[in-house]
Amino acid sequence: MSVATVDWDALLTAVWASIVAGIGATTAFGIAILGGTRAVELRRDGRPLEAAVFGTIGALGAAVVIGAITFGLVILAQ
Amino acid sequence: MRGELLTVIIVVGTALAFDFTNGFHDTANVVATSISTRAMPPRLAVGYASILNFVGAFISLQVAATVASDVVDPEAITPLIVFAGLIGAIAWNLITWYFGLPSSSSHALIGGVVGAMLVAQGPDSIFFETGIVGKVMVPALVAPILAFLVAGVSILLLYRIVGGLRPGPASGGFRGGQIISGGLLALAHGTNDAQKTMGVIALALVAYGSLPASDPSPPTWVVVSAATAIALGTYVGGWRIIRTMGSRIHKMDSAQGFAAQGAGAAVILASTHGGFPLSTTQTISGAVIGSGAAKRVSAVRWGVAGNIVMAWILTLPAAAGFGAVTYGITRLFGTGAAGPIVVSALILAGSAALFARRAQQGASVSAAEA
Repeated sequence: MSVATVDWDALLTAVWASIVAGIGATTAFGIAILGGTRAVELRRDGRPLEAAVFGTIGALGAAVVIGAITFGLVILAQ
Repeated sequence: MRGELLTVIIVVGTALAFDFTNGFHDTANVVATSISTRAMPPRLAVGYASILNFVGAFISLQVAATVASDVVDPEAITPLIVFAGLIGAIAWNLITWYFGLPSSSSHALIGGVVGAMLVAQGPDSIFFETGIVGKVMVPALVAPILAFLVAGVSILLLYRIVGGLRPGPASGGFRGGQIISGGLLALAHGTNDAQKTMGVIALALVAYGSLPASDPSPPTWVVVSAATAIALGTYVGGWRIIRTMGSRIHKMDSAQGFAAQGAGAAVILASTHGGFPLSTTQTISGAVIGSGAAKRVSAVRWGVAGNIVMAWILTLPAAAGFGAVTYGITRLFGTGAAGPIVVSALILAGSAALFARRAQQGASVSAAEA
């Protein structure tokens, strides 16, 4: 038995795709929660400018999550 | 020819029954984290997972191609071998269900077919190095470790990012996120596991001459019926195993549940694209343990995790043994449909006895608690 029996290209592609998608999407979702929550709190405290910045960060995080999921499913379906 | 057609019909029925038991036994793991963190009520979580299992089965055919052509020689397969492999896998699934042990339906299926093939056609008919090792065993080792690491790193990053927030809104956000991550995990399960059944039915159709061995892509009716069977199995549910996966490994918060489901879905979907027939149970177990260990190593109940590892180790050889024995019993009745009919009746009777015993034990526990 040799290492050549394993399709390393396909396996390594699966490994890096899992790492990028798994860690990337969950981190982006965390940023979305941070941005959204802080935006609500800052708006409540009467700090609209900072609230808008955090709101934008949250929206970007959410957009990354949605984009990553859509991209992944499209690649899989192809 | 009529006897052979009857055998193929029994094989297709058995494969769909296996798919149903796969949903029943395996997919429950997918919803366990959502239920244990209260992201979704149990009935809703199971219904949601069953719908997404159905949808997932239509996304890809890469794994079906691997099962149909890369594990055993499709030129040497016969409907009886496929039947015996399936019965071996179903028997192993029922036994692990009865004892409440998470197992791998995928590896049971592959093990069953390999065991039956080994007895029927000899070792040359099995693609041991490129198929069993390269496509099944190495990915089986890599996937749970990868899921463990991805979930562990994810949860550490998430705690860093949201650590300064009040717990209420953050938990609520992650519970919402679990609806997405749990859905993706169910979709991933549907696409990887339903395809194994499609691959096995394709093998039977190759043996019957309905599909060419050079291109055993499953026809649409196979895809639709496999998707339906796994979705129905999921809906009926495996509550005993939900309990094992969801809360006995460690108590999870919603961020951990989200990280575990996200990691599991990412690993399964990426591996499906590579055509690797993974075990969703192994992968989600790795992710659940990773999300717990990253927070606090002592929070993980390692005894339960150890039981799961034992089931991983046992599944392939045990199902191969059951597949080989089933082939031997089936051949006692010749090569026609008589063997599959008798063995199907035996496995149905055995299943009914196990279900009755389990129901009786459940009733005794309820009576004692009352």
